[in-house]
Amino acid sequence: MSAIASEEATLVAVPRARRRLGAAGLRPYLYILPVVASLGFWIYWPLLRTFFLGFYTWNLLPTTPRVWVGLGNYARVVGLQEMGIALRNTLIYVVGMLPLSVALPLGIALLTQNLGARARGVYRALIFMPMLMAPVVVATIWDWMLDPTGGLVDSLLHAVFGLGPVYWLNSQTWAIWVITAIAGWKVVGFAVLIFAAALTGVSREYLEAAAVDGAAAWQRTWHIVVPLILPSILLVVMLTVLLSAQWTFPLINVMTQGGPVNATTNIYFELWQFGFQSYNVGWASAAAVLLFLGFGVIAWGFTALMNRVAYRDS
Amino acid sequence: MLAVLSAVCLFPILWMLLSSLKGDADISSLTLLPHVPTLANYAAVVTELPILAMIANTVVMAGAVTVLQLVTSVLAAYAFGRWRFRMDWLLYTLVIGTWLVPFQITMIPNYVVIAGLHWLNTLQALIVPQVASAFGVILLTQAVRSFPAALFDAASLDGAGSWTTLWRVVLPNLRATLAALAILQFISSWNEYFWPLLVTDKPTHTVLQVGLQMFFTDQGNQWGPLMAAASIASLPILAVFLVSQRQVMDAFVRSGLK
Repeated sequence: MSAIASEEATLVAVPRARRRLGAAGLRPYLYILPVVASLGFWIYWPLLRTFFLGFYTWNLLPTTPRVWVGLGNYARVVGLQEMGIALRNTLIYVVGMLPLSVALPLGIALLTQNLGARARGVYRALIFMPMLMAPVVVATIWDWMLDPTGGLVDSLLHAVFGLGPVYWLNSQTWAIWVITAIAGWKVVGFAVLIFAAALTGVSREYLEAAAVDGAAAWQRTWHIVVPLILPSILLVVMLTVLLSAQWTFPLINVMTQGGPVNATTNIYFELWQFGFQSYNVGWASAAAVLLFLGFGVIAWGFTALMNRVAYRDS
Repeated sequence: MLAVLSAVCLFPILWMLLSSLKGDADISSLTLLPHVPTLANYAAVVTELPILAMIANTVVMAGAVTVLQLVTSVLAAYAFGRWRFRMDWLLYTLVIGTWLVPFQITMIPNYVVIAGLHWLNTLQALIVPQVASAFGVILLTQAVRSFPAALFDAASLDGAGSWTTLWRVVLPNLRATLAALAILQFISSWNEYFWPLLVTDKPTHTVLQVGLQMFFTDQGNQWGPLMAAASIASLPILAVFLVSQRQVMDAFVRSGLK
């Protein structure tokens, strides 16, 4: 069930007597003041400023004046070749991540469902561990494993198949897939947990009734289980679409710096480059605004879709 | 298939720990265990990096951010959960809405603010922008809303003020949720990387994650010491996970479903 739907359910279920409008006077505002002030100052205010900075040329130095250029930055950013490459790579990351963040974890969640409670818990805890590791640590470990001279992967390739050395991260073909795989490695266990939580909500009775009717195991899974946990599947798809660029960013920053020849850059890395490598605040801000609007539309679309799906099965 | 997957998931972490204990002679060998386990790599990290300062900075940042986020989240969740007030829906939506604003969109103006305050390379630059957590507010508000109304009515009848009610009634009932939230916030703050990377660039003033990256950039192929530094940066998290896996996993699932 989607979080938004459950949120509404909670709101409706709250007894009137307790939540009478205005009865508490100023008190609620005092209690929420720290959170609202902090989020306002560190999230919404800079969001507004980014909108404004998108209309200026500025190099981040307080002593340099900002120059108004209207929509000039937007026009330039949209036409930039780097932006095109970054967008295309972002799409590759998303598409490459989906099997690792949706299909594989769904399979694992289904397969581990019938294990004993203890074995299931241990197994899910083990495959969850990469999610806990800091992105920089993950990047360092994999850089070592993939090191062309003496790294584990290369030594194995050499010892077993007589292959190598393979310069994984210097290859314009391989590098982006290597980073996709590492980002996938990190989130598999997390996605398994989300699907597992959804599966515990699927009623045994439906499955038993279908089994009595002679439905095979895969039919029961495909026709009963999958539709019932569709909101969770959509949720993970949405997280993958929205967050793949976030998940891969630190790996790119540590392992490849976007290279070789822009082969691994993504949209956030490009923004980072505009802002803190080229000190081109105008471009960075204009690109940020476009990105924010784009991802906002995607999130809105998925939320609408999830609400519809959740409504249909209840 | 399940066994292979768990091996793939676990092995790199194990390999990091094992490599960190290997000497120069067998760091590149395929043998799983070090011939003679050595702490030389850890000694190298201590001499080449101000690692103690980095550990201290990370502990202070993660600790302070966790405590402050818990406090601000509890206060806000109490208000959102207990009362209805003018614009409560709008304000709550604005809190949730911060989820949609990625770090990269706000980073330049926030960097300018920190630089303007002359806070670069300070602990307050690492802590102050992170004192509020939308996820904390959402999770705790849901918990407070699930309390029976009678709980608050009884407290009011006893003449308890809202502050007393928060301490005597709300907090004791939130203990489990608070523990899960604290663990999650500590882990994510410990692993925080972008923001410290922006506002700190002196090795003695930064946190472990940024220090590890600096070390990696400088000493790209000293794999033994690098794995030792990576292990130091991960061991506290792995330890937390070892003692409270159930809560950590629950908290992560809920953060995904927020």
